[in-house]
Amino acid sequence: MNAAALLSVNGLSASYGSAKVLFDISLAVAPRSIVACVGRNGAGKTTLLKTIAGFIKPTAGTVTAGDRTLIGLPPYDVARLGVKYVPQDKKVFSDLTVRENLELGSYATRDYNWDPVTTYFPKLKVLMDRKAGYLSGGERQMLMIGRAILGSPQVLLVDEPTEGLAPSIVAHLKNVFRELSKTAALVIVEQNLPLVCAIADKVYALSDGAIVATLSGSDEIRVDQCERFL
Amino acid sequence: MNRGPTLRKAWAWWWGILLAFMLIAGMRLVLPLPFVNEILIFSIYAIGCSFLLGKVGFISFGQPAYLAVGAYATAFYLFYFGTNPYIGILWGLAAGCAAALLVGPLFVRLRSDYFALVNLALAVIVFYLMQKVLAPITKGDNGLWFLTNMTSTPVLDITQPQQFFIFAFLVGLVVWAFYKYLDDTIFGACCLATKINEDKLQFLGYSNFRIRLAAFVIANTTTALAGSLYAVYLGAVSPEITAPSRTADPVIVILLGGVGTLYGPIVGSVAYTGMKDVISKLIGNWEMVIGPLLVIIMLAGEKGIWGTLEPWLKNVLFRRRNTAADDRDEAR
Amino acid sequence: MDTSLLFSGFIFGLSIGSIYFLMAIGLSLCFGLMRVISLDQLLYYSVGAYIAYSVSLATGSFGLGLIAAVAVGGVVSLAIERMVFRRIYERDLTFSMITSFGVLLGGVGVIKFFWGLVPRPVPLPFSAQVDLLGTDVPAYRLLVVAVAAAVYIGIWLFLNRTVTGKAIRAGIESVEHVEGLGINVARLFTTTFVIAGTLSALAGALHAPLIMVDPHMGLEVLAFVFMVVIIGGLGSIKGTLVSAFIVGQVVSIGSLIYAPLAQVAPFVIMLLILLVKPTGLYGSALLKK
Repeated sequence: MNAAALLSVNGLSASYGSAKVLFDISLAVAPRSIVACVGRNGAGKTTLLKTIAGFIKPTAGTVTAGDRTLIGLPPYDVARLGVKYVPQDKKVFSDLTVRENLELGSYATRDYNWDPVTTYFPKLKVLMDRKAGYLSGGERQMLMIGRAILGSPQVLLVDEPTEGLAPSIVAHLKNVFRELSKTAALVIVEQNLPLVCAIADKVYALSDGAIVATLSGSDEIRVDQCERFL
Repeated sequence: MNRGPTLRKAWAWWWGILLAFMLIAGMRLVLPLPFVNEILIFSIYAIGCSFLLGKVGFISFGQPAYLAVGAYATAFYLFYFGTNPYIGILWGLAAGCAAALLVGPLFVRLRSDYFALVNLALAVIVFYLMQKVLAPITKGDNGLWFLTNMTSTPVLDITQPQQFFIFAFLVGLVVWAFYKYLDDTIFGACCLATKINEDKLQFLGYSNFRIRLAAFVIANTTTALAGSLYAVYLGAVSPEITAPSRTADPVIVILLGGVGTLYGPIVGSVAYTGMKDVISKLIGNWEMVIGPLLVIIMLAGEKGIWGTLEPWLKNVLFRRRNTAADDRDEAR
Repeated sequence: MDTSLLFSGFIFGLSIGSIYFLMAIGLSLCFGLMRVISLDQLLYYSVGAYIAYSVSLATGSFGLGLIAAVAVGGVVSLAIERMVFRRIYERDLTFSMITSFGVLLGGVGVIKFFWGLVPRPVPLPFSAQVDLLGTDVPAYRLLVVAVAAAVYIGIWLFLNRTVTGKAIRAGIESVEHVEGLGINVARLFTTTFVIAGTLSALAGALHAPLIMVDPHMGLEVLAFVFMVVIIGGLGSIKGTLVSAFIVGQVVSIGSLIYAPLAQVAPFVIMLLILLVKPTGLYGSALLKK
């Protein structure tokens, strides 16, 4: 669709059993940009991210990252190709320490340079040997994102990152996302419209498993513009 | 949905059961009597397990335990106390029901994986119980022999294989009709609901625990009944009926037949009994054939023999006669 | 009761518990990570015992038999994983249980085909008695306990010190998240399955001189191994260790009091524990499928 796109999705459809949940979704993510997906609960946002990441097998359509097609690859190969999914459930490996969690993030690419993580989230440095199960919600989210950015992925698929977090942490994450977008592309599913409008270069609105609107440019991406899709 | 198709469907089901048993009666004419008797008992044995797996979502690897309870209760009565096989069978039923009521409240609280494993352990424990612990009264591996203790009974003399066949046939018919009836009651619907979503069923005001317990007791009492029939038919009981290698027998039978199909357990019983018979006669090593076969059936999509045959049979038998009716069925 | 009798009973229980532990730990790991119940572990146990029997008979060295048993157990479990289990990880537990029972049954058939039905004795590699606290204890039983202890330490180090082991621990919590980090879970599953198969074969080979090997030996320990897994809690390594110890002692001390008790007492203990905690001693209620 878009030759310059880092990640492009074309005509993607998916279903759970006999229930169709995604209908002919097409989107393009340019390098070093932030794309947001908004929509009501059940609109298919999470399904979209999971399908791109390889957790759900689509019934039709293509997903390509650069010149590699991602469809049919198991999730771990998708992640190795630099498309990483950060789930919304904030489930860190609670029995493992923060350090061990990060080690697993480094394992696939053998990239043990943790500087980016500790620069973005200095707090994790002091928590290194604590079991992840004892972290607060915000710290868990930091760890989830930190774990995913190891090995410098090209595309980060972030699912509802600020859900249930304190405003100060949301503000912190906002800056982190901006910083991250200098080297990678981000696809963020989010309900927090002020955040979306502050950082997104492009907004896709989903409803009932289909894209109903595409907004881009600073005049279109305003909270009042997006509100009608929630 | 209007009432017409429902009635017609119900009629088709009943007709199906009658047809299936007609076929078994037909088999009586061509196949040796012990084989047909074995199939009848086995199909009663399998239906309890089929009900638990298909309707309640509990897979039980421990059915032989309840089979043994029924068989031994009957055997104890006929060996030590009485002579009337009918009363022996009643004892078997009562013991099966009591055993299920005893362990049921604990078992049905378990998650389905623990349920399967605990039942498996139970079957092996019952085996050791009968083989070693209770050896003074069960005579251990030798088993209890009471064929000559049984006296002839009036009307239907089940000590005679021919008349036992008629009795087992009638019992089988009643059991099958009973399970068919259960399917259509609210209780049947609740069982299915506990399998699919236990939380929502609770919101509707039903107790998962009670429904599961009832299903458990019904299924295992049926299994005990099969055990009693075995005991009376063979005139002997040994720990072999609950041997560890046989724990999966009923599960294999319903899988061979096809899970959740009406005739599955019957077809499976015929196939399994037949195969075991033929294989052990030919090479004496039934495990080597049944094991891989089971794996293949599972990998091929667990539709089983009946599940695979059913659409094909329908096609062959009914295509010319009522294509239109079939189409209407499909549409519905 | 005589203390020396009690003490040798304790050692007997430890060695039995060690065998159960070696088998149960594989089952528990397989359940924890892949959510399968792998009844075919009992086949690798029998295979291990038979290989140990044949090789030690042919070469006269039990040590060689032990090594061969472990190697063959590993290869057979690798083959079964590739041919059968790889296709059923996604399915529910019932599915793996029945399929693996098919594998077990078929394997028993193959064993019958090659070795026949007759139980075979495996001579003890050494019949020395060691004087321990004034009681004569068979040295071989102590060896079994030592091997199990070494395996526990090895598994502990593997799970806590290697990155593959950490990935397995993480996978027990959530396979999806491990996959999302780019870790090849298919390989992780294979590794875990082969470790389990190897340990089962080791258990079988170690157990062989203490019993007779026969085609149904796997089915004979089945109940005890599963009781160990259930009491400990599916998916817990620590729970498996504790419950293997308990079951071993109950079997051994029980048989000192009244021989038939050995078979039934562990079952009663299991029921009592499940009555209090339906997911076993260390089983987490969170592990659901």
